Amino acid sequence: MKILVALKRVADPDNANKVKIPADGSTIDTAGLEFKPNPFDEYALETALRLTEDGTKPKVRDGEVIVVTFGPADTESTLRAALATGADRAIRVDANDDQLDGLLVAKGLKTLVAEEKPDIVLMGKQAVDGDTNQVGQALAELLDWPMATFAATIEEQEDGLVVGREVDGGVLELSIKYPAVVTVDLRIVSPSSVYSTKTDRSFKYNEGVRFSPLPAIMQARRKPLDTKSLADLVDDTGLKINYLRFEAPPARLAGVKVADAAELVDKLKNEAKVL
Amino acid sequence: MENRLIDDRHIDFLLYEVVDAESLCELSYFSDHGRDTFSLYLQQARKLAREVLYPTYRTLDLEPPELKDGAVRVHPELEKILPRMVDLGVVSATRPYEVGGQQLPFLIFGMANAYLMAANLAAYGYLGLTTGAARLIESFGSEDLKSQYMKRMYSGEWTGTMALTEPQAGSSLADVATRAVLTDEGHYLLSGTKIFLSGGDHGITDNIVHMALARIEGAPAGIKGVSLFVVPKKRFDGEDLVDNDCVVSGLFHKIGWRGLPSISLTFGDRGDCRGYLVGEAHQGIRYMFQMMNEARLMVGLNGASTASAGYLEALRYAQDRPQGRRLKGREPGAPQVPIIEHADVRRMLLRQKAIVEGGFALLAKASALQDRGEHADDERERERASLLLDLLTPIAKSFPAEWGFEANTLSVQVHGGYGYTSEYLPEAWWRDQKLNSIHEGTTGIHGLDLLGRKVMMKGGQPLMLLGEAIAESVAAAHEAGVEGAWCEALQAAVATVGELTAHLGGLGMAGDPEGMLLHSDDYLSLLSIVVVAWQWVDMAAAAKRGLARGEDTERAFYEGKLYAAQYWIATELPKTTVLAELCRTGEDSYVRIDALSF
Repeated sequence: MKILVALKRVADPDNANKVKIPADGSTIDTAGLEFKPNPFDEYALETALRLTEDGTKPKVRDGEVIVVTFGPADTESTLRAALATGADRAIRVDANDDQLDGLLVAKGLKTLVAEEKPDIVLMGKQAVDGDTNQVGQALAELLDWPMATFAATIEEQEDGLVVGREVDGGVLELSIKYPAVVTVDLRIVSPSSVYSTKTDRSFKYNEGVRFSPLPAIMQARRKPLDTKSLADLVDDTGLKINYLRFEAPPARLAGVKVADAAELVDKLKNEAKVL
Repeated sequence: MENRLIDDRHIDFLLYEVVDAESLCELSYFSDHGRDTFSLYLQQARKLAREVLYPTYRTLDLEPPELKDGAVRVHPELEKILPRMVDLGVVSATRPYEVGGQQLPFLIFGMANAYLMAANLAAYGYLGLTTGAARLIESFGSEDLKSQYMKRMYSGEWTGTMALTEPQAGSSLADVATRAVLTDEGHYLLSGTKIFLSGGDHGITDNIVHMALARIEGAPAGIKGVSLFVVPKKRFDGEDLVDNDCVVSGLFHKIGWRGLPSISLTFGDRGDCRGYLVGEAHQGIRYMFQMMNEARLMVGLNGASTASAGYLEALRYAQDRPQGRRLKGREPGAPQVPIIEHADVRRMLLRQKAIVEGGFALLAKASALQDRGEHADDERERERASLLLDLLTPIAKSFPAEWGFEANTLSVQVHGGYGYTSEYLPEAWWRDQKLNSIHEGTTGIHGLDLLGRKVMMKGGQPLMLLGEAIAESVAAAHEAGVEGAWCEALQAAVATVGELTAHLGGLGMAGDPEGMLLHSDDYLSLLSIVVVAWQWVDMAAAAKRGLARGEDTERAFYEGKLYAAQYWIATELPKTTVLAELCRTGEDSYVRIDALSF
């Protein structure tokens, strides 16, 4: 089993109050922000690791997990962290965030898929900075591969996966054949969400993504990390999506105290117009 | 927002802007490391601390271990937590590759593990003790002991303890009375009772390895007749593990560290408790002492971490809790202000900040010396680092414990009436903190050690090295644009220490050790204040350099350092005058008072 995991690093969502937009609205100022991996992509990596191991022996990898990111040189630390978590090798496609949009990333991934021939491409359902939720779907379309989005559970079968997706009113189970694109949702890292054929169904993982033991951190330094240029992967590197202007959401106004229920109803009816 | 336990930015500031952690990677022992491995390990420790250890802290405090049918049962949560810390590589991180370690600098190990301590001191305690016990075997034990016991301890399969204290031999280890009798088969049979064994029984791992001090039959009296033994709870009988006649004879009810049992243990009730000698006979105390610097820095880290958790909790509370109005322009109808607006609350917060961050800075400096003292490629550098560390160790151990206790008191105080309830956490950290001035040598012992031994050793060389190091810092601070008055105040205090030490040393030489050591505790306080002022001058210099880089987002952070430095130098450093006067004049009320007059 070979799995390609696409990983993006994003400004730490906990720093949201530090995000600044210059007066002309031309960009988002990222100075002073801390970066961390997009949480959904971290879940995708955890999923890939669970699918390539026996849960009781997480140090032995049965298959190959390759992580790829599109970003400038400093994103290599994100890739090293992924290697320390257990991925076998990494690829960085050199590009700045403002040179990328979802479609371009999907096209770049398509070329990488042609080179690497993975059985599965895994990624988060969306990145928590742009929240566009496009890359997985676009990639599946470009590859003409089966796709399952928002996976909450995955069970490995002989020739494919059974993916549970949480939908309104229940869980939808999809059976898909390799090769396939799967995007994951947050419940994929629950203790009983992912089972490879090697992991006994009674086994329970720790909640969340795994930690990197110090020996693995040391090993990660010696694992291969290749760099490619965007132009190597995509002929037309022009952006299809252009951001025209950024603005901060309006500041929240202070609340008011109402004297009684009648006043509340009146305000809901006539000011908020929700009744 | 959740309590972050320790300010990440402060730790990174210390590592990369104050003590230059990356320069350690130039030493061959650490050459496989780099800032990338340091950051990843720190990241993992931070995450484990905040997501796994901290959420169970109060639970472990509320439900302490129980002794049932001769066995201690600890909280079941520990069965989940300990393996996760072990998995991280905590137990053997600094050790050589040959024994399964990763040759991580002690500096990084300490700063990372501080998060685990801040999150759950008791839970970390099991592993801290295991590392210490395994190290003794690594350094002095036979190959058999290493393969049978040390390996399983470093891998986290078994835990370890220190079995030193006996009812009549606490601070005075020379009075250890546990007996060891050599048998024809080469092992010893031990008999005696040990107390205050932390983690002495727990039921989480299959075995526990006690490092016990005992007196071999016929050994000389006193400190030179004490030997070190491996005494496992279960010993090997061929391939099997069999009971080794260590009986849990009591469980202490403690006021802090309540997740970690402290027991009394009786060896050889049935005459079948085997001990395996570590190294040579009668060298037990010497072996223990070779591990002391590291063990004491770990206690210092316990102290700084516990104070940090309390400080950040108080800071958060003070920002959120509205109470009262500003003194100027107060109107009865105006909304209340958060208590951080009140000058006295700010005083309490800034004092905590100065203690916590100054404590961590001292520990970072001492830890880097520990690394250089052990692994510098140049022998002279190793020697100089070790000498300075010898001097700083009693301070790095007791400053975070004593001043940290005050910081934890202030954290309770900031919380007001709520702080005095067990609904809030500051009281729990306050209880935990108290142990740090007692274990691993009481503060009183460290005062005696500092004045009676450390400053006097090798013709006063350590103190000269300290003076040189401070002079270097002052020069760098001048260059960075730190207030000249701060540097002068620090240097004046250093001069006072020099004169005072010469005077007290003179008393010792003249055959008056009692006069010399009468105020050893005040001397320890005095030198602690000076050494921490040195840290604040260093940090002020780094902050000035940071401000000069002109990054707006960092401005508040660096200015915070300058205010804390100002606070320490203006309010704490002047106290050294009074302390020096007490030491010099030998104020004698408490020695002259008759025991009946108390």
